[in-house]
Amino acid sequence: MKPEIIQKLTEIVGQDYIYTTLEDLYCYTYDASFVKADIKNDLAGVAVYPGNTAEVAQILKLANLEKIPVVPRGAGSNVSGGTISIGDCIVLVLKRMNKILELDQKNLIAVVETGVITGQLQSEVERVGLFYPPDPASQAFSTMGGNVAECAGGPRGVKYGVTRDYVIGLEVVLPTGEVINTGGRTIKNVTGYDMTKLFTGSEGTLCVITKIIVKLIPLPEAKSTMMAVFSEIEQACETVSEIIAGGLVPCSLELLDNIYIKNIEEYAQVGLPTEAGAVLLIEVDGDAEILAKQIAKIEQICRRLGAVQIRIAKTKEEAEELWRARRSAFAAVSRVKPTIIGEDATVPRSSIPIAVRRIQEIAAKYNLIIAILGHAGDGNLHATILTDEMDQEEAARVEKAIDEIFVVTLELGGSLSGEHGIGRAKSKFITRQIGEVGLEVQHRIKLALDPNNILNPGVMFGA
Amino acid sequence: MERTFESWEKEVIRCIRCGACQNVCPVFKELQAESTVARGRVKLIRGVITKDLDITEGFINKMSLCLMCKACVVNCPSGVKVDKLVEAARKEIAEQKGLSALKKLIFRLVLKNRWVFNSGMKAGSLLQGLVFRKGPQGQGMLPRMSLGIDKRRLLAPLAPKSFRSLYPDVIKVPDAKLRVAFFTGCMINYIYTDTGKAVINVLKRNGVEVVIPALQNCCGTPVRINGDYEAAKQMAKANIDVLLKEKVDGIVVACGTCGLALKEEYAELLEDDPIYAEKAKQIGAMVKDFTELVVSLAGFEDKLGNLPIKVTYHDPCHLVRGLKVKAQPRQIIQCIPGVVFTEMKNSDTCCGSGGSFSLAHYELSTKINDHKVADIKQTGAEVLVTGCSACRMHIADGLNRQNVQVKVMHTAQLLEMAYEATDHSR
Repeated sequence: MKPEIIQKLTEIVGQDYIYTTLEDLYCYTYDASFVKADIKNDLAGVAVYPGNTAEVAQILKLANLEKIPVVPRGAGSNVSGGTISIGDCIVLVLKRMNKILELDQKNLIAVVETGVITGQLQSEVERVGLFYPPDPASQAFSTMGGNVAECAGGPRGVKYGVTRDYVIGLEVVLPTGEVINTGGRTIKNVTGYDMTKLFTGSEGTLCVITKIIVKLIPLPEAKSTMMAVFSEIEQACETVSEIIAGGLVPCSLELLDNIYIKNIEEYAQVGLPTEAGAVLLIEVDGDAEILAKQIAKIEQICRRLGAVQIRIAKTKEEAEELWRARRSAFAAVSRVKPTIIGEDATVPRSSIPIAVRRIQEIAAKYNLIIAILGHAGDGNLHATILTDEMDQEEAARVEKAIDEIFVVTLELGGSLSGEHGIGRAKSKFITRQIGEVGLEVQHRIKLALDPNNILNPGVMFGA
Repeated sequence: MERTFESWEKEVIRCIRCGACQNVCPVFKELQAESTVARGRVKLIRGVITKDLDITEGFINKMSLCLMCKACVVNCPSGVKVDKLVEAARKEIAEQKGLSALKKLIFRLVLKNRWVFNSGMKAGSLLQGLVFRKGPQGQGMLPRMSLGIDKRRLLAPLAPKSFRSLYPDVIKVPDAKLRVAFFTGCMINYIYTDTGKAVINVLKRNGVEVVIPALQNCCGTPVRINGDYEAAKQMAKANIDVLLKEKVDGIVVACGTCGLALKEEYAELLEDDPIYAEKAKQIGAMVKDFTELVVSLAGFEDKLGNLPIKVTYHDPCHLVRGLKVKAQPRQIIQCIPGVVFTEMKNSDTCCGSGGSFSLAHYELSTKINDHKVADIKQTGAEVLVTGCSACRMHIADGLNRQNVQVKVMHTAQLLEMAYEATDHSR
């Protein structure tokens, strides 16, 4: 990076909020994804931490003028390679803009700056009896801006939808440095194109999000949790389909396969039968009076489809115990192999049984351990590949297996990514789902907003 | 075989860079740069192992910016032992670049050699007035000149006489039901002798005979976490020899850091030593924190006098996440009649001391401490109880800086006060 650019950036954000040393910049060559950056080619020129929208606008104006790539970044917790540095670029970290600006109980909305931690917003709104449902696994540390840019999901997606369903307005800085507001504070709003929805999930390629207006809903009064154990994974998958078809909508419907069950039991001793084929963890929420009835109906379906064991939590502590199994899932499998790749392919809910079978076949074909954990209620399967990145021969098989998982997913009418995003990790597969023309249209939108292609180049459209 | 730095790559690759450590790292909370959070440190270490990076001043600085508070370790979904990695990096730095002259003097000559330490400290207690001036309201002392220590740093003065010189080697009680060795640690021995005195008095009252092995040294942790393994090993061996000589039922500590060294870290440090590996394990099995020992003594809660004070408790990192002692001090505090106990927010978040961290990065360590002081203030407590002398000094410094009138003491001292309160009421 040219010294005069560093100088100008320093004038914009101040001495304390700019990083240029090798050691500092090395730490922006990764995010939570598997995409590898190379220190020689990918090291950023500078990382800046602006404090407000005006500073962001000045930085983008400068970058656009000088045609310097800009990589926007929140907590760097995305899993698709959307925030890693790409050579002599500006890494634009938005974590300092972290205030909850408004919590409007009369209009059921919250207005937040982009760097607010999602979990923090959730606990603030829950304190006044409101609810912001999207719950990505990273909620305790990921930022709202990042969640909007990636359109994050989570277990509650089955009932409550994803980030997109809650964002009603944005303040964004365009790559050319102008600030615009989209959407607004009303539920109904059809003035012009729906730019809010376009920017949600745009992965930092169209704009830098600086403020977010989200709608809130009343906090459900109570929850009830149960766990059903099946000897065959097909039975569990059928159960998921039956529950949904029966008009019951749990707020979480999580599937764990035998590999997970065995490892969780070994690691956390939560009383799971290690020979079981699958476990479903089911939670319903709503008015306290209706929960028992819902759970009873779900229990009936589970039994009919061959559940060998059903545990219904009677107290909060018991529910916590059931969730402990799910929460320790990751730590449990990470003991098996050093490298864990969490895939994100998503299929229509009715295709879950067949998708699971096909993934298991792929695992056998390439002689890999692929565990399945899924937000089964919304078809979002997380095929988890347990491998060792230092083993290059295995890495090649992993790559082939992932490729085949994508083919299967698309065959079944699904999506390459349910909630993780395309980023740099899956950009080479994007046309398989949206087609050449589909990509071309998206590219034209990109160029209309970002004529010099400075914002997060490489993400979605490939290098 | 000594473990090579490269062999840590196996541990390093287990970090999946999820970022969960951002939520708990006290240093990152202040600095916000990616290089100052656990996954950044792990990435930097990986960079040095894979030869992407060299051991530069920049790398050394980043490795020094860790409190060793273990918050990231217990919070890590993959269970990456970040503290061990940072320690391994510091060891590599010490081996490749050497220790600074000052550190070398302190680690190799002073801490390792009890007689030098003792005479130094004795001279220090006489001469400290030349180097330090009294703190505000006569509390503590502030450096008069630059010592590599921030001049605003309020340090507790050295005791006029060291703790171990005040007591005989064995403190006998009639019909002792237990006999334990007390590993005092440096801060109790040279600074907070009042904590040591309270430990003895409480145990005496409960029929426990206390042995204070005269030849014990510093536990070695300050040396080890700064990368000087050779000195650390010698100190560990010396302490093991001294402690194994005593015919006791257990070893009691009143400092989580010393406790963790004795209980687990000696065994790790000496795992390849043909003679000491086994001995270290033997010692480890005998170690108990003061509060663990007290709650195991039948009837300790009898004869406690009334203490009408509001109390809150701070969990020292190495006590709560190292020795896993969390419930016992609370149990002790709450069984004292009259005491109103209020749990503070984030009671187990690091106070920012980090031992020598607070000397090297004073400004930063005070910022971290400010949150602790705010949380203490919010409880309205008159007394902050904790189980570590380093926390005690750092929190007292913070309270003093912000003019908050809260007394800081060790759990043993509160308990001693409660026993004494009965005596007075009689």
